[in-house]
Amino acid sequence: MGEAPILSVRDLSVALAPAFGGRRLLDGISFDIAPREIVGVVGATGAGKTVLAKAVVNGLDQTLSASGTVRFRGRDILGLDPRAMRPLRRDIAYVGANPMGALDPTLPVGRQIAEKMRAVAPGVTEGEARRRVIALLEAVRIPSAARRFHDYPSQFSGGMMQRALLVDAMISDPALLVADNVTQPLDVTVAAQVIRLMRELTAQFQTAILFVSSSLPVAREAAARTLVIDAGRLVEEQPTDALVARPVHAYTRELVAQIPTIWTGVPAQPRSREAGAAPRPIISLEDVSQTYRARERGTFAGTGELRAVRNVTFDIAKGDSFAVVGESGCGKSTLMRLLSRLERPSAGRILCEGQDIARLSGGALLRFRRKLQLVLQDPFDSLPPRTAIGAMLEAPLRIHGWRDAARIRDKVRAVMNDVGLSLALYDALPLGLSAGQRQRINVARAMVLDPEILLMDETLSALDQTEQFRLLALFDKLQSAHGLTYIFISHDLAMVRKACNRVAVMYLGEVVELADNERLFFDPGHPYTRALLSAMPTLEERRYRPEDCLLDGEPPSPIDLPAGCAFRSRCPRAFAPCAGQSPALVTRGAGDFASCHHVPAPGAGLAQAVAMGSTG
Amino acid sequence: MGLDSLVALGPQPAEPEASRSIGRRIIGRAARSGGFRIGLAILAVLALAAALYPDLSGIDPNKMDVRARLLPPLFGGAQWSLGHPLGTDQIGRDMLVRCLIGLRYSFLIGVASVALTLAIGCTLGMVAGYFGGRTDTVVMRITDAQLSIPMIILAIAVLGVSRPTIPAIILVLGLSNWPVYARVMRSVVMAERGREYVRAAQVSGASHARIVVRLLAPLLVPPLLFASVLDIARMMIFESTLGFLGLGVQPPTPTFGNVIADGRKYLLNAWWIATMPGLFLGLTLTGINLIGASCERARNAIHGGA
Amino acid sequence: MFVLSFLARRLAQGAVIISLVSLLIFTLLRVVPGDPVRLMVGGMAPDSLVEQIAAEMGLRDPILVQFGRYAAHVVRGDLGHSFVRPANGAATGGANFDDTTRGERAAVADLIRDALPMTLQLAALALVFALAFSALVGIAAGLRPGGVADKVAFAVSSIFISLPNFWLAIVLALLFSVKLGWLPAIGYGGFSYTILPALVLAVELSPVLIRTLSGAVAAQMSESYVTVGRIRGLSETRIVAAHVLRNAAVPMLNLLGVQFSGLLGGVIIVEYILDYPGLGLLTINAVLQRDFPLIQGIAIVTSAIFVVINIVVDLAATIIDPRLEY
Repeated sequence: MGEAPILSVRDLSVALAPAFGGRRLLDGISFDIAPREIVGVVGATGAGKTVLAKAVVNGLDQTLSASGTVRFRGRDILGLDPRAMRPLRRDIAYVGANPMGALDPTLPVGRQIAEKMRAVAPGVTEGEARRRVIALLEAVRIPSAARRFHDYPSQFSGGMMQRALLVDAMISDPALLVADNVTQPLDVTVAAQVIRLMRELTAQFQTAILFVSSSLPVAREAAARTLVIDAGRLVEEQPTDALVARPVHAYTRELVAQIPTIWTGVPAQPRSREAGAAPRPIISLEDVSQTYRARERGTFAGTGELRAVRNVTFDIAKGDSFAVVGESGCGKSTLMRLLSRLERPSAGRILCEGQDIARLSGGALLRFRRKLQLVLQDPFDSLPPRTAIGAMLEAPLRIHGWRDAARIRDKVRAVMNDVGLSLALYDALPLGLSAGQRQRINVARAMVLDPEILLMDETLSALDQTEQFRLLALFDKLQSAHGLTYIFISHDLAMVRKACNRVAVMYLGEVVELADNERLFFDPGHPYTRALLSAMPTLEERRYRPEDCLLDGEPPSPIDLPAGCAFRSRCPRAFAPCAGQSPALVTRGAGDFASCHHVPAPGAGLAQAVAMGSTG
Repeated sequence: MGLDSLVALGPQPAEPEASRSIGRRIIGRAARSGGFRIGLAILAVLALAAALYPDLSGIDPNKMDVRARLLPPLFGGAQWSLGHPLGTDQIGRDMLVRCLIGLRYSFLIGVASVALTLAIGCTLGMVAGYFGGRTDTVVMRITDAQLSIPMIILAIAVLGVSRPTIPAIILVLGLSNWPVYARVMRSVVMAERGREYVRAAQVSGASHARIVVRLLAPLLVPPLLFASVLDIARMMIFESTLGFLGLGVQPPTPTFGNVIADGRKYLLNAWWIATMPGLFLGLTLTGINLIGASCERARNAIHGGA
Repeated sequence: MFVLSFLARRLAQGAVIISLVSLLIFTLLRVVPGDPVRLMVGGMAPDSLVEQIAAEMGLRDPILVQFGRYAAHVVRGDLGHSFVRPANGAATGGANFDDTTRGERAAVADLIRDALPMTLQLAALALVFALAFSALVGIAAGLRPGGVADKVAFAVSSIFISLPNFWLAIVLALLFSVKLGWLPAIGYGGFSYTILPALVLAVELSPVLIRTLSGAVAAQMSESYVTVGRIRGLSETRIVAAHVLRNAAVPMLNLLGVQFSGLLGGVIIVEYILDYPGLGLLTINAVLQRDFPLIQGIAIVTSAIFVVINIVVDLAATIIDPRLEY
């Protein structure tokens, strides 16, 4: 070992203060970080990673009590009083998981970064600080950095804000950067870019990094050496590649095993369409669009058009497990609202078994609601806080006219059994239940009406891997038993790979690709699909390399859509036609479609046609 | 955040506290604070006195007794007497009994007008917040218009006409304050309307009325009830102001307002006629305000996630 | 650009509100019983004369016609003439119907123009007192919830809010003016006459200001940008002064806008009791004498002031916090 470690943690233990219960959050953690080294910390949510990150920067909340030592350049900073700590803030930086809450929302971002610069390095003048901030903003590839300097936090997207916060952290040339779950709130493509930027910056400034993440694949992108934390204890520490290949501790082994595989050996084969059969579409979208009016700031009375969903056309066959995937802003949430008839489309039709659902009302609408049910995303927000579970499940039945109390009870009991909920919970409030159990209640609430179609809106996103496994198994069972059709709205391609047979990829309101599972993953037709697949965090050998698939930049604003292909600004394969004309969905054979100018039109004379879901 | 605490280190102990209704939790927490207890004690004593003393003591609040006129209160001057602990006014009427009777009316009018305010404000606010759009704009403009007229002008204009009756006073007071409640209710309903369980109910086919009455109202109205306690005090002041101007309950019925107005003339040599009722009112209101403020703090603490 | 569009929109809305209020008061005065003409000519005049004078004054025409006539005058700046007050400055009218010395009636605009600055001075001073006191107590209370300042703030605001303003005016006048002789109380003879009324109003205003301020400051202190700010290296002073207070100002501004209505109520009472020659005293006398044009004129002026104050407050809030949309 050459130099002395820049950070040296010995026997760090943190517990809640006795007044709050005294529970132990960290127990006897010890490790070192050498200068310019990147060390990862992984563990499940609640394992204590954020507590560790905060302890290292001496930013623990007052309700916590800590013991042990945290030596930065030889000096113990744990518990150091704020006054003595401030000069050290120049050399120790921190970026957290909540980019939108990190700065004062009423002041421009650039000014706040300059303020921080001048707070930790008092000799710097205002002009000098400004110049440095703008230079760094440009280095993290924020476009129009000089103008963005004066923008407010609400005008930054999550990814941009995280980059700006990286600038804020690095502006004083720190020796150590603590990155606490920085990519968690971000979309995969944006997250991949942020990690790349972080590595570039820290290499340039020769900063050591403590990279905390709840995802092992993400940590592997950045860290040379990784620590594994379970329930507050440090259970393993190895160079990252060795950790993945040969995990030692039982917990690590389980962690590695649970990470879903996309490219190799899919555990459960999703059902594929029977070749030759002509399945009737149970849901059919015909040129559906949804446009919102948004008032524009800065103009007199101008309203901008927010085109959330643009000309979407596809069919869903009975028995399919159909997925709609995309990142934030792609329109999948709006599509969900249209499918569940919470809103009506501004153009186009949505047909359910031939009937236009926008025209339904009264009894017909109620019948539709019986047929298509929605299972929601947030396990905590989606259950009324003060209603008993039994009452929650009875409510849909009562709304649909069931009167006999005994019949209702029996039905609810049957559904609870079906879904795996203990009958003892019938009269209990949902407090204290885990996220997985709450989602089961959501599923039960949807199933109690015997629907034919279940719309799953990011239903599994809030759950751990183990819970996700269990719920997917449940979905499978229910589908075979009741002949259900599933529509999954998700951003998690790994889950989609396992559970769905047909996938539609959305970008900025359009469906850019529609294909069967196998074809989509192994032979994607649209550059965006390829970019998405390349950015998926995985422990396996990547099939597509991120550098090849995605250019830096943010998606354009949906209010001001440029002409031509919406993906053009980030597409490495953009060429002349892309700027002029927006590509339409072109068939690539066997019911697979992609909308890209590079996809050859099928046969001569058959120019871009928007084909329905017939077999090719 | 909530996810963290549940999926973390093993099973969490069940929270019996959390399963009580929000209302009961707020009262429970408030009841433990010193301010609440002091306020409650003051109010209890005054309420008992107002209910019982005038009848028990047998003194008629309106009967003239010229021999006992202008007696000072306890230890206040030369001729104080135990039979008139707060002194007497210029025609010998006992101040204590008059104040207590005034308290009765004050309290009645205060509570009734706040009840009216709550009814109107909560209903309009809920309708505006839930339906949004044009309904919302209309209701908001009405509240704006009402807020721009100082209610005192309106009250004086309306009540300054003929003998104001108690229902008329309650009506004017009740109508003066509803915009604030409507606004608060509206913003709370708007925030709650976007929550997922409301969306789930809509997708199940529940009607708007069902969602508003069954899901939203029981959750959102109780916190407002706590805020309204403070408004009872405000309405009592308003009522006594009207009484002072001669627009409240008319004499000979004693109310704080008209007694103080009467006593103004004698300020220099019989200061207690004007000041005693005010002290009395102030004491009552302090009690109410202590209770109300403790409830409000408890509510903030509980809604803030403590 | 944004400011212009905001102003244009709000001024247009304000004009609508002022018109509505004016119409409302106008109608209410004519609908509610109590005949101003009777008050003007005195109890002894015969009914026929009352009717004749009322018809001449246009008080027997349909209400909308009357309002139309009134609105046409207002737009040209003529707020009419008082029914009661003579131009020579006497406080009340109501002499016998055949008294020839009554002469010209005072112009409403003149009466308001004389009274308004007095009230503005009073309101401004009250606001200064209230803000200074509330800031001192409220900020300290918000920075340390549960601490000493917090308890003091709680006690003080509970007591202050329980004191009826008219009673307080009487007691303070008794104490500071009669018994101690420090401050003058009744009427107006110089700036010092504004101090006592302003104190009474400040006591009335403070509790709400303290409560809102301490709540807003406490809420801001628990925001994540405060904890993150400390980790980033900002000093506690800087965080509070440059960030927390700035953010806490927004709910305070909102509050001030709403409080104006209540403040006017208090001004009326205090001016009446202490005989302070401002808009409030004018209003009470006008209402009690059923002086229609004066009441209407005051209503227009007060709602105009309300509209302007709300516009200013909302504009300031938007400038401070760019997320807000008005």
